[in-house]
Amino acid sequence: MLIEFSNIYKSFGPVEVLHGVSMSVKGGQIMALLGENGAGKSTLMNILGGLLRADSGEIFLDGSPVVMRSPNESIAHGIAFIHQELSPVNDLRVYENMFLGREERKRFGFLDRAKMRQKARELLADLEIEIDEETYMRDLDASHKQIVEITRALLCEARTIIMDEPTTSLAEHEIELLFKLVRKLVAQGVGIIFISHKLNEVKDLCTDYVVLRNGYVVASGKMDEVTTEQLSEHIVGHELAQMSRTAVMHHEDEVLRVEHLSRERQFSDVSFSVKSGEILGVTGLLGDGRSELFRSIFGDTPDYEGQVYLDGQPFHAKSTSQAIRAGIVLVPSNRKENAIIPDLSVLYNGTLATLKRYCRLGLLRRAPQESEFLVHAADFRLKYGKLDDLVTTLSGGNQQKVVLSRWLNTNPRILILDNPTQGVDIGAKQEIYEIIRKVASTGVAVVVLSGEGQEIIRLCERTLVMYHGRIVGELRGDEMTEQAIMKYATGLGA
Amino acid sequence: MDMGKNKVIKWFSAQWTGNPLFSTTLALCAIIILQTCALGFDYASFGEWWSKFCNNWIIVLRNNATTGIVSLGMAFVIISAGIDLAVGSTFVASGALFLLLLDSSGAGLLPAAGLSGWPAFGIAVVLVVLFGALLGGVNGVLVADGGIPPFIVTLGTMKIYRSVTQHFMQGRSPTFPSSDFGSFSTVTIGGYMVMPIVYWLLIAAILYVISKKTVFGTHVVAVGSNEKAAKLTGISVKAVKRMVYVMTGALVAFASVIQICRIGSMDYSNAGSGYEMDAIASVIVGGTRMSGGRGTVIGTMLGVLIIGVMNNLLNLYGVPPFLREAFKGVIVIIAVLLQKKEATS
Ligand SMILES: Nc1ncnc2c1ncn2[C@@H]1O[C@H](COP(=O)(O)OP(=O)(O)OP(=O)(O)O)[C@@H](O)[C@H]1O
Ligand SMILES: [Mg+2]
Repeated sequence: MLIEFSNIYKSFGPVEVLHGVSMSVKGGQIMALLGENGAGKSTLMNILGGLLRADSGEIFLDGSPVVMRSPNESIAHGIAFIHQELSPVNDLRVYENMFLGREERKRFGFLDRAKMRQKARELLADLEIEIDEETYMRDLDASHKQIVEITRALLCEARTIIMDEPTTSLAEHEIELLFKLVRKLVAQGVGIIFISHKLNEVKDLCTDYVVLRNGYVVASGKMDEVTTEQLSEHIVGHELAQMSRTAVMHHEDEVLRVEHLSRERQFSDVSFSVKSGEILGVTGLLGDGRSELFRSIFGDTPDYEGQVYLDGQPFHAKSTSQAIRAGIVLVPSNRKENAIIPDLSVLYNGTLATLKRYCRLGLLRRAPQESEFLVHAADFRLKYGKLDDLVTTLSGGNQQKVVLSRWLNTNPRILILDNPTQGVDIGAKQEIYEIIRKVASTGVAVVVLSGEGQEIIRLCERTLVMYHGRIVGELRGDEMTEQAIMKYATGLGA
Repeated sequence: MDMGKNKVIKWFSAQWTGNPLFSTTLALCAIIILQTCALGFDYASFGEWWSKFCNNWIIVLRNNATTGIVSLGMAFVIISAGIDLAVGSTFVASGALFLLLLDSSGAGLLPAAGLSGWPAFGIAVVLVVLFGALLGGVNGVLVADGGIPPFIVTLGTMKIYRSVTQHFMQGRSPTFPSSDFGSFSTVTIGGYMVMPIVYWLLIAAILYVISKKTVFGTHVVAVGSNEKAAKLTGISVKAVKRMVYVMTGALVAFASVIQICRIGSMDYSNAGSGYEMDAIASVIVGGTRMSGGRGTVIGTMLGVLIIGVMNNLLNLYGVPPFLREAFKGVIVIIAVLLQKKEATS
């Protein structure tokens, strides 16, 4: 199948975000769609997916013009869309989610559960993914949910698959599985549009590329004719300084110490400590339990065994608000589910954790709220229309920046960041690293949870590697390499 | 000329899709125009028409003041993704307490304690409002800490509150000293009996400020919009949930006070019945999302007015009483249909 976009324009209200975009993808191609946060990538794909209508311009499928009036029409044309912001039905089982809207039926319209289970199991086995198709979606963590979402697209035997940042909550190992699968599909003649900010993986996987900047196509071509440096230059519009590594320093005061922490089926016998001013990484593969571990420390799931010490004193947060009062702050992964309040504005989402501070006599005052937020908005180079617009009108990466602002406002003593750069573009990523370093230099103990090797290596001074709920390795400074991390993360370290 | 027309259309469609209150306001305007027609607009005797018009409006507003206050509480509950079916029963239970406290037929609790006059009245109002808050608090605790769905909790307490009240009031018939305290609701200003309206507007103003300018107001939206994210942001989700029910209970109790002062008595088996549905209907017509996260005080006021004016209109046009509920039903369904545009745009 050949998909051609011809001169697509799209505005939201007075703001035009696509200014005549043309590009094409055909079967057997893996087209990287690149660009900064807010460049218009998701918008363009939403037009193909039938979620938005172009103001002008046309889409051709195999040469004939089509208009996608609804997602269903797009699916009927053989186009599957894996969205940037997932929307799983948490109260259904995995296989039910996989077949949602395309259920297998028996006679008289009854559901053929046996067949759906069977197919789901086969597909998951093909992918070498250990998810039981019977588990409820709500019991899966973000990355497993992501995988289920991807399998949905595979099940409908699409001829073109749009993947809008499919790897943001996956670790290297799952990413490899995904890539293997994508290559298999492409060999069968499927076309892929692949959106990602991780240039290494893009370079590795894709055959072609298109770069959008502010709604214009600024570059396109064959992937093997460019370097990642050139790509990043196209994306940000200027040369990007080489990302530096955080200098390893000596830190004195231990702020947080954890001894023999365990929670059933999630993590066991975890002990470590963090010092004031230190940036500690925690990494591992899917199911390593790092998110669950820190959720427990943060008081979200406080029913753990073992002991946490804060400044040497035993501390057990029974609720998130208690943890926050004690100066522990956790920026959760998967912003759509865990952080974004879709009915509040950009401003309120960015200041939600510190509202009390702007009050006088119980009434919120706009001026201090705005000025505090604007500082972060400028630091992050946030791209937004008005402060009072709903946060959901921002692009994915910009929503992530708003989430980070919310927490940086709180002046924490311990800042736990779970996948902090989810969907953030390469330029902004460097800025976020810089900001995190600055925060640490003021004496905050920072813990970064990430499945991205490069992020850990660049940002952290020291990293713990987890495997099936246990800490299996610790690497410091130059010891941190992707190979060393991977060795521990796959359980081969010992 | 053509450009101008285009602009109007553009503005219209932007408001239509962008402003949740736009369709509600339009509907209200349409109903008011119908009402004007019903009152027979007469250019020649404008003065007479005008006074008839005002009179009619004051009656409409006054008749809806109690449900209006109840609806405001309900709006907060629904924005927090809850529901309160117990408002009608809370209304009757707090009303009964109010009567018992001030009973002038000899058994009144406050007169027995040697209190009388306006101080006694003031104490009674405070106690009744606290009692309403307590009843609401029971709902809130069961919802927030018991983890029971609000529909179930308040369906249960709806039955409990009314039936216990009825049982307890059997054989008791407290008399309300209307001549002493009735003026709380019935005193006239400029010849019009407007106190219930004044209380309603006052409460609406306070709640407007709470919803827009306080941390609590924002937290209610956050909890209704994405509870998990609210919890991870350190918002005490349980406290917010408890609070919206407490608030609603207190408002309902106050509405009950206004009502008794106005009509001097209470029918324990019928008073307040159907309030929950009227309030929910007004809140929904006012553009509040049933599943929480979105809704406004002003929208709720408009919703109450639409349903209220609609009732008045059906009256003026002489629609048979049994059919009136059908019209209300139609209005609610149309309102929700209009809101569906949100999901598709
Ligand atoms: N519904 C909307 N209303 C108003 N503006 C919108 C809406 N959706 C997107 N935008 C704006 O359009 C621009 C492009 O957004 P888009 O989501 O396409 O970016 P993106 O390239 O996918 O970015 P990211 O990498 O952050 O996901 C952004 O500036 C965004 O604020
Ligand atoms: Mg996007």
